[in-house]
Formats: sequence, structure tokens, C-alpha cells
Amino acid sequence: MEAGWAEVRALEAEIAELQRTCAKLPAPLENMSRNRKSFHELLQSDSEEQESSKDLKSQLEHLKGELSFLSSLTGFNVGNYSKKTKDLTSAEMIEKGIKKVMQRHRLSGNCCMVTFQLEFQILEIETKENSSSIITDLNIIMEPTDYSELSEFVSRVEERRDLLMFFRSLHFFVEWYEHRKNTFKHFKDKYPSTVHLSEGPSSHCMEIRSASQPGFELMVVWRIQINEEGKVLPKLDLLTKVPHQALQLDKRRVIETAPLNFRTLLGTLGIEAALESLINCFV
Amino acid sequence: MEPANSFRLDGESKGGVLAYLERLEAQVKKSEVLRRAQIKESALRTKIRELRHRRDQLRAEVKLRQVRVKTSTNVEPDRTVEVSEQEVLKRQRENVIAILQAYRFTGLSGKLTSRGVCVCISTAFEGTLLDSYFVDLVIQKPLWIHHHSVPAFIPLERIAAQLLQTDIQRFLFTLSEYLNAYSGRKYQADRLQSDFAASLAGPLQRNALCNLLSFTYKEKAGAQSMLFCARLLYKDLTRTLPTDVTVTCQGMGALSTLQAEYRASHETLFYTKPIHQVFASFSQGEKLDSRVWS
Repeated sequence: MEAGWAEVRALEAEIAELQRTCAKLPAPLENMSRNRKSFHELLQSDSEEQESSKDLKSQLEHLKGELSFLSSLTGFNVGNYSKKTKDLTSAEMIEKGIKKVMQRHRLSGNCCMVTFQLEFQILEIETKENSSSIITDLNIIMEPTDYSELSEFVSRVEERRDLLMFFRSLHFFVEWYEHRKNTFKHFKDKYPSTVHLSEGPSSHCMEIRSASQPGFELMVVWRIQINEEGKVLPKLDLLTKVPHQALQLDKRRVIETAPLNFRTLLGTLGIEAALESLINCFV
Repeated sequence: MEPANSFRLDGESKGGVLAYLERLEAQVKKSEVLRRAQIKESALRTKIRELRHRRDQLRAEVKLRQVRVKTSTNVEPDRTVEVSEQEVLKRQRENVIAILQAYRFTGLSGKLTSRGVCVCISTAFEGTLLDSYFVDLVIQKPLWIHHHSVPAFIPLERIAAQLLQTDIQRFLFTLSEYLNAYSGRKYQADRLQSDFAASLAGPLQRNALCNLLSFTYKEKAGAQSMLFCARLLYKDLTRTLPTDVTVTCQGMGALSTLQAEYRASHETLFYTKPIHQVFASFSQGEKLDSRVWS
């Protein structure tokens, strides 16, 4: 009997302990139904998420395609862009129905061999009658930095905060740059022994000389200038190098008047034909 | 039935009866006690049995709950992996959309359409963003313009005839040049009318293309007030500065030296600076002059 009661006491103690442990763990009946629900939810949201993932991937592909199309259409490849907006509307302005917002933009990318990094601020003011967007600050970093023609242009554009002109002129500059490169390359390939590009394929000058007539040399200098209004214009000049004796023999002053005549030739024949005719003097 | 142990009612068994009764009583008592003890014991045994059963139940319950907790925690990680993939894709998508919208700052942006592309040309004059125009291109052979918002006085057809089929990029940039120049000229004329109305001595005459402007304005030189007539012609439609400027001084007879000076300098100014900036420099000059002459 005694042993029996001892066992009862022990059992009661164990039961009490188990009940405490049980209370700490989530109720099985609840847990099961919750798990069942969340499992169901899982199945549903799994398929939802999977669909969204697929959806997102196809959307992303489409958008990337649009971006690549735009990039080839404009010639500008925008790699990075970020924007920060700051609301400058004061309580007074709200009463008058005026809204003032300052946006800070960061944009970077490239146009052919030129890479650019821009930071600019746009102030947007909206009143009941009209709205205005004004660029209040513009900073441009460009690579390569060794194009003197471009760096002058960049500081002018920054001063005037003319963002759109920057891109427009950049496009035309690059177009002329590529055209110059292709033209020089064409002549180098056609007359390899006569035409020399001392500065390499992107050279801004082309030397014409013949092995059979050493001492005589023509140099065509082709600069690409951007004027005050952002217009891109090619400027070609002819330099001559002739031995002293030849100069003395030049009664008709052909060599002296060559640079001027070259300008006229350019106007009449255009760049390619004018250069071709020059080279043919030496071939 | 007669009890087995019958008792005689004589003197001899009288003590025996009592004893017998006592014996019976004791027996009953004993069996009572026994009975009670037996009841107690069986109760105890039942209790023990019940408690043991309850304990076993609870043990099983605890085990079950512990197992469930373990398995439920294993389910979570997979879900978080899925969610972050989705988030990454969403962020990438937002990024690409932002870049597409940022193209408007280059002057040329666009949206793909079912048949081609709708290009948006943004215009600005120096730091002021102005109107945008669109050209809806159908990409077929030959390329053609479905519709557009380019004003009629811009030579769109001529530019398209020259460039659209051979070089879309050049077509777009050339058109952009024309539109930006027009936008810039219009902006200058608008600014003149709004900001310097006080200086104008009559209405500003302008054409739709804003490449021919004619106006009369007054200028003070100390005590003297001069009247000038300006005619600005912009032959090059891709420029925002005039190609031909004529400034005449209204007055009777020959011009004084001062008038002639002013006339010449104004002419030069109109060739090199936007109109509203020229007028802004006038008012600055006036302030200088009044200090000199007073």
C-alpha cells in the first residue's frame, strides 16, 4: 500500500511536469490545422511566386530588349542612372498652389569610344498657370580626356547647363570622329606606302609622302571643332614640307598657294575626292 | 433456512450464544475492515492505472508536439530563398525602367510599339527644358511615319525624304536639331515679350517658325531716350542665333555719335547673344550709364 501511494505521488508529479512541457509547445490540433493551411498557402503562393518569377523574367527580357534597341537607335548607351527627389514646397507655397521640387540625377554611359558621367540638378516649379523645369547644376566627366576639342566644349556646356546640347553635339562629334577614322583607314589601306598615319588609326592628321621623292611631304590636318552654338564642323588644313631648292624653283608659287587651293578643292570635290587627288600627286 | 450452527436455548449454550455473537461481530468487523481495505486497494490500483495512462498520454503528446515543431521549422528556409529571387528580379526591372525613362535627358527617348517605335524628341534652351515632340515610326520596308506632333512649318517631309530610309539615327538627330532650334527661338521671343515688355515700344512681330522677328525698343543713354528698330532673320533653321540682323535708329535727321555707337553695338549683340540676354545687358548698361551721367 505504501509503495502504491508512493507510486501515485510519483506519477502525479510526472504528469504535472509533462503538462507544463506540453503547454510550452504549440497545441497539436492547432498546429496541424495551421500547418495544413500554411502548406496550402505554400502551394498557392509557391505557384503564385513561381508565376511572378516567370512573369518578372519575361518582363525583364522584354525591357532589356527595348533598352538595347533604344541604345542602338540613339547611339547612346546608358549604363547607370539614379535619381533623388527633394520636396522644397513650403507651407506658404502650398497655400498659393505652388509646388517646388528639386531632383538630383546621376547618369553614366558611353557613346562609341567616349564615356560620360553626368550629375545634374533639375528644379521643377509648378503653379496653377504653368510649370517649368530648369537645370540648375550640371557636371560632366568625360573619358578620354585628351580630346582638347571636346574638353573646351564640355566646360562651355557646363556653364550654360545645356544638357541636351551636350548629347546632341556629342553625337555629331562622334559621327565625324568615326568618319575621319574610316576615311584615313581607307586611304591607308589603298595606298599603304604613300599614306602614313603617325598617330595611329585615330590620328587627326594624315601624311602623304613618296619613297621616290624624299623631302617632299604633304600633311592633311583634320580637326573636328565644336563652335559656340554647339555645331560640329570639320576643319581641314594642308601643310607642306618641301626642300629649300624646290621652293626656289617654284616660280608659280604652287606650294605657297597649296593650302588655300586645298580649301577650294574641298569645297568643290568634298573631303574624300580632295584627299584622293592629293595622294595621286605622289603615287 | 436454518443456520448451520443452530443454537440451543438451554443454560449451557447461553454463554456460547454470546460468544458466538461476539465471534460473528468480530468476523463481520474483520470482513468490513478487509472489505474496506480491499476497496481502498482496488481504488489505489485504479488510480495508479489511470495516472499511468494519463502519463503515457502526455508523454506521447509531448513527443508529437516536439516532432511537429522540428518539421515546421524546416519548411521556412525554402520560402525565403524564393522571395529574395523575386525581389532581385523586381529591383532589376525597376532599374531598367528607370534607365529607359532617363533617356529623355539625352534628347531622344522612345517606346517600342506593336509596329515599330514611338520616338520622343525633347527640346531645351540652355538650362530650360521645353516642349517634347513625338514621331511614331512603323518599321517596315519602307519605313514610314504613322503620326507625329511636329509642327507643320518644320521641314519634316524633306528631312525624312533625305534620311529616313538610309539612316534613322541621322534622321532623328537632324530633326532634333531643327526642333531644338525652333524651341530655342520661340523661347527667346516669349521671354522678350514677357520679361522686357516695358522696353518694347510696340508689339513683337513674329512668324510661326520664329525665324523672322521685328520689334521696336527704347533705350536710354543718360537723359537721351533712343528708339531702335530691330529685324532679326534666322536663315539657318538649325540655329538659335540670327544670320541677318538689321538695327536702325528711329529719329529725325542724321544720327548722333552716341546713337550710331549704340546702333552698331546692338547689332553685334543680337548676332552673338540670345535676345533676352541682350535686353538684360541693356538694363544693366542703363544702370551703369545713369551712374556715369548723373
